[in-house]
Amino acid sequence: MHNLNTFFRQTAGWIAAILIAALICNTVCFTFYNPCQDIPRAQGSTTGYLLPESSGVYGLEGYCIAHVDENGYVNRDMERADEYYVVAGASHTEGLFIPFKYRFSDRLNEILYDDDKLHFVNIGKSGNYFSVVLQHFDGILGEFPDAKGIIIETDSLAYDTKALYDSMIQTGYDPDETASSILSHYSAKQKAVIRTKQALPLVRELHKQYFTYLDSKKAPSESDILDPAFWQSEYEGDFEEALDTLMGYLRSKTDKRIIILFHPAVRLEADGSMTCLSNNAEDYYKRVCQNHNIDFIDMTVTFTEAYEKNHIIPYGFSNTTPGDGHINRTAHEMIAQRIAEVLR
Amino acid sequence: MKLILLLIAGYVFYGLIDLKALGILVAMSFITYCGGKIAYSYKKKGDDSAAKYTSAAFIIFEIAVLCFFKYSGLIPMPVGMSFYMLMAIGFIADCANAKFDNMPSVTQTLVYISFFPTVISGPILKAKDFIPQLSKKHTFTKERLYSFMTMFAVGAFFKFVMADRLSVAVDKVYATPLVFSGMTLFFTSVTYTLQLYFDFAGYSYMAIAAATLLGFDIAPNFNLPYLATNPSEFWRRWHISLSEWLRDYVYIPLGGSRKGVIRTYINIFLVMVVSGLWHGSTINFLIWGMLHGIGQIIHRAVAKPRKKDATGSRIFSMIINFMFINFLWIPFRVPTPSEAWMIFKRIITFAPGASYYYVYTFIFGVLMLITQFIGSRFNNGNDPIKPLALDKLYAKVIFCMIIIVTAMFAYFGNGAFIYSQF
Repeated sequence: MHNLNTFFRQTAGWIAAILIAALICNTVCFTFYNPCQDIPRAQGSTTGYLLPESSGVYGLEGYCIAHVDENGYVNRDMERADEYYVVAGASHTEGLFIPFKYRFSDRLNEILYDDDKLHFVNIGKSGNYFSVVLQHFDGILGEFPDAKGIIIETDSLAYDTKALYDSMIQTGYDPDETASSILSHYSAKQKAVIRTKQALPLVRELHKQYFTYLDSKKAPSESDILDPAFWQSEYEGDFEEALDTLMGYLRSKTDKRIIILFHPAVRLEADGSMTCLSNNAEDYYKRVCQNHNIDFIDMTVTFTEAYEKNHIIPYGFSNTTPGDGHINRTAHEMIAQRIAEVLR
Repeated sequence: MKLILLLIAGYVFYGLIDLKALGILVAMSFITYCGGKIAYSYKKKGDDSAAKYTSAAFIIFEIAVLCFFKYSGLIPMPVGMSFYMLMAIGFIADCANAKFDNMPSVTQTLVYISFFPTVISGPILKAKDFIPQLSKKHTFTKERLYSFMTMFAVGAFFKFVMADRLSVAVDKVYATPLVFSGMTLFFTSVTYTLQLYFDFAGYSYMAIAAATLLGFDIAPNFNLPYLATNPSEFWRRWHISLSEWLRDYVYIPLGGSRKGVIRTYINIFLVMVVSGLWHGSTINFLIWGMLHGIGQIIHRAVAKPRKKDATGSRIFSMIINFMFINFLWIPFRVPTPSEAWMIFKRIITFAPGASYYYVYTFIFGVLMLITQFIGSRFNNGNDPIKPLALDKLYAKVIFCMIIIVTAMFAYFGNGAFIYSQF
């Protein structure tokens, strides 16, 4: 009987300990990893929204406390100006690695405008790479009909002919597919899941860790190990024709200003230099974009000069490694300055 | 039956890591047993010189085998060979000196050399301490379970959270040192100093925990090494099992400190040269060992025996010693002396370059400093990590938190144990 009591007391003690420890760790998670909730959608300017009017904390790479606006995008709490640009791209644009005011879209607002209005609407969304943004081009035009121009950010131009043609297959736009309307159609169970996830960042962190662990066991994918020289062969033949068709298609859709921003990945070399990893496609893009009155900004020279003059590495944070991952605050500033030069 | 199970566990564990080298482990274990047996029987017969020469022959053969694998570069060195060969050599020496009441059986010898918690990266077990434990009756106790749980959790936290996360920065900076400023290189040298400690101490905690669960008592391998106030004390606190092995089987046979001051200095120097060569085959490790030897000799020559240092003086000595140890880890980490010299030169000249101060170095460094410095105050300057009394709720909560935090922050990249490569 005594042993049984001890057993039950110990079991209860362990359950209590697990709960207390989990509660403490969950509380800690709110300070460094509590991402905003995704709301996927089928059409429109991006592949999804973030939960409107929610906040998130991202501290695994850089550090950012994010606030999502009423439309489901990550923007500062400002009224949208009559004259505004849409800034589209993937996680670099979304910029959940640095404080808001240092993202290139926010810096552009500061550099080019004196008022307190939002002139650069950031619709960056993790995973919305160049080709994905292009597939949502009609969606952007539909959702932001008053925009003065569209800035499309990409860290890669490594797309083959097929990918370029596929980029013209548009997802379309449904004006009723707003973040709030999607949410209103969610079932009680779906809403409960969202609320639970928001309340339990520890579970999301452990879930993420589990998939990171699984990924670490996989061999690198073909795209990870491909040498840029590989892409050279892709640009022969009808590549330029496909690119020309794509850019012509974008231009045919709108007479708004279109800016394509390319910021290359970098590699630190043993001899102390830094190499911008060219996709060998920049010249094609420059030529074709010029033909269609599209601005093409290539950050290669700016990044190289910043490194050579001031030892600035545009990628990486103090809690990750230099040269890897996402663009840092300094790179955002350099990009903002370059875009501002073009827009002035 | 227990011995057979331990033997099977040892060989299965080793085979899973390095199946091709399993044959070498088995062969060397049998050779070691034969050498020990012959030397032991001569010693018991009173023929000291035959025991001495027989053991010397076997030891020289084992050193030759180790050197072949370590330095020839013809065949990759089997995992853990540096560790189990030292144990094998120690076994033969102990037999030749009749340190055992009875000659250990062949199974006991095989288990001793292939003991799975320690076969990969130590701690280096002493035959005279470990083999008698094989004959004892082992009972599974709550205390041993709690000790295992605590030490394994702490070891896993050290390794998978602290060491592996620090390795990210170290690998990046040491891959391209010319990119970074002198200050960054200095900061990264500190990062590596911490990484090495958390990596090896983490492994040692886990190995000792596993042995404890099986009913074996293994002495700690680390005792707050970076709080040492001089190079000699550092080696009494860092990789203690290796330091004790070198003391018992190299330093004392050379004469130790009994043959005058100059011979003592020479012996210290030789021991550290052996230590350097044991760690690696490149000239860097030789330089590293020699500099450690010189450091110890200088300290021994200059330091005056004092009753008790004032706290301020002790802290100053700790900082100076930490810097000394820290700078010597640079040749330990990089592939060539010229690269070590280049990094050192960039540090002392404050060379310009990219700045990168890894935030986890601050976090883990401060955490280590505070917990060890304060903790050691309550434990006579020794490692404060003790098994948690897991009957109590607060201890259960601490244990659960260590597990959850390890899962939250574990780094999943290159996670190889540094010392398993030596």
